[in-house]
Amino acid sequence: MTQGVSRRRFLAGAAVLGAGVGASALLAGCGGGAGSDGSLQVSNWTSYIDPGAVRRFERDTGIRVTYTEDINDNNEWFAKNRAVLARQGWIGRDSVVLDDWIANRLINRLDWAEPMRADRLSNRGNLLPELANPPHDPERRFSLPWQVGLTGIAYNRSITGREIRTFDEFLAIDGTTAVLTEMRDTVGLVMRATGADVTRPSAAAAEPAFTELERAVADGRIDAFTGNDYVNDLATGNLAAAFAWSGDVAQITRDNPDVRFVLPESGGLIWSDNHIIPKGARRPAAATEWIDWFYDPTNAARLTAYVQYISPVQGVAEELTRLGGAAARLVDDPLVVPTPDLLAEVAAFGILSEEDADTLDARFAALAGA
Amino acid sequence: MSASVERDAQGRRRARWTPWLLLAPGFLWLFWFFYLPLSALLRMSLSTKPSRFAVPEFSWAWSNYEQAFSDYGSQFTRSFTYALAATSIALLIAYPVAYVIAFRGGRYRNVLLGLVVVPFFTNFLIRTLAWKTILGDQGAVVSLLRTVGLLDANEALLRTPIAVIGGLTYNFLPFMVLPIYVSLEKIDPKLLDAARDLYSNTWRGFRKVVLPLSLPGVFAGSLLVFIPAAGDFVNAYYLGNAKTTMIGNVVQDQFLVQNNYPVAAALSFVFIAIVMVIVAVYSRLLGTEDLT
Repeated sequence: MTQGVSRRRFLAGAAVLGAGVGASALLAGCGGGAGSDGSLQVSNWTSYIDPGAVRRFERDTGIRVTYTEDINDNNEWFAKNRAVLARQGWIGRDSVVLDDWIANRLINRLDWAEPMRADRLSNRGNLLPELANPPHDPERRFSLPWQVGLTGIAYNRSITGREIRTFDEFLAIDGTTAVLTEMRDTVGLVMRATGADVTRPSAAAAEPAFTELERAVADGRIDAFTGNDYVNDLATGNLAAAFAWSGDVAQITRDNPDVRFVLPESGGLIWSDNHIIPKGARRPAAATEWIDWFYDPTNAARLTAYVQYISPVQGVAEELTRLGGAAARLVDDPLVVPTPDLLAEVAAFGILSEEDADTLDARFAALAGA
Repeated sequence: MSASVERDAQGRRRARWTPWLLLAPGFLWLFWFFYLPLSALLRMSLSTKPSRFAVPEFSWAWSNYEQAFSDYGSQFTRSFTYALAATSIALLIAYPVAYVIAFRGGRYRNVLLGLVVVPFFTNFLIRTLAWKTILGDQGAVVSLLRTVGLLDANEALLRTPIAVIGGLTYNFLPFMVLPIYVSLEKIDPKLLDAARDLYSNTWRGFRKVVLPLSLPGVFAGSLLVFIPAAGDFVNAYYLGNAKTTMIGNVVQDQFLVQNNYPVAAALSFVFIAIVMVIVAVYSRLLGTEDLT
């Protein structure tokens, strides 16, 4: 089964937004007009849900849902909504899905997240214990993972002519290479190659990684910075290799076995996308029921069978087997149902202090030529 | 005092206000949609913020402008160099096209004009992304250039300045063709007959009659291509690399990623100022007051 590729952006969205951002900053003052019909307003990334889920949720709970795939990029989402959230207004959404680091920003730095309603969380016990106490939300009061993914290196073997196992081999490729525009993914992966601890990141710890990256960009061993669009370029051969997200590659590999995903020997990154109820949400209880519904293993398995990322829910492997067919085959794919060995190779990028985040963002922008 | 004198006085009073009333909608428009946004931008460009998420405060922070010049000089230079190259190439392509349509198009004129515009019904972004496929390493263009020896085996087109300038040229080409066509089409054919009667050959007729009369179109077209091309960031993003970024890419990053509105605003102001200087110099050089 092939789906329209991937979560996360197709930076296209960002580009369009960039053009209209002046306008959106002005319009932000007008507040969200959507959702006046009283339904639950859910925002998510594109192709990040199985097509029947919304209907089944509505049938099971009687809650009407307006589901919008309008999140393309964490930074872009933040830039668009910050003005309204800052004055505790309603952004027109009851539920959004965002990365760990921006979840941390909303929950801990800005107090722009609404706690979930504990009485509506009947399936919460199915959360994988490894994900129960993340630094951004130690008791999981505000957030639950939507899906989990890995950052590693993807390469097109027909162009590289060989397997790629380390960051040095990635840099040595005679062909076009790309890293991700998401600073934490790119810098984090190189930090692991330099032996730095990504779980406790700081500007100082990232220094060797930046030196390495700056040198590689300067002498053309790294050619491009891409968003989700690396997916097409890898498949068509415009890119020999790229820093990549596991679920995206899991999907292209099925069509093009030359495209492979590997965690470098120095280790990869693991991240999650968090379901969050933004402050000012009109239906926080219904939003809690929404995320809770996906913690039922059957519903979670159907989601995973479609998006092919790692599920944060226990018991999904058994349910995938029960679904049979292509879904059952995913059980043997370590990028969808990871083995303990694979999990031992990955680490999550920790929380940066505010000053360090500013410093690294600015430095990373300069690296990417902006 | 008779009633008619009083009425005259009233009429004169009213007449004095009439021009202002007629101008009011235009003034209001400019006030709301030009003056206010621009002064808000100016204010922002002179603001500072103590931390990333704080609301910027106005503080005559000229340092934003210093940063704009010192850190992003190369992106400014690149933006205007690429825009100049794209404008020149667009002019070289567009002038003959417009000339043929205007003077040789006959009854197919409208069809030909339509053909110039039709590709642009497709979304801007899709068109730009299509160039990734066309110029791609495995694509026909690159393999042809490699066969004839213009490109080495490991050289590429994608993610080079050539690709960015090519994308800019392509995306803004109709804005060059259309104004030139309009100014050529306005030329009275009798003037060309007159030139021939006075023993001028085709080339001389073109140089002395057609070209000067089409300059307003060239002027308008150049501005319509140059200004948006210099501010563009989509082509540099998709067709370029880290060494071909333009000022639009910097503004996008400052605004969306780093949330540094003051610097983004300062960059925009510097950009506006440079464009205005270039336009002023250019209009002086071309010496045209009839701007089509």
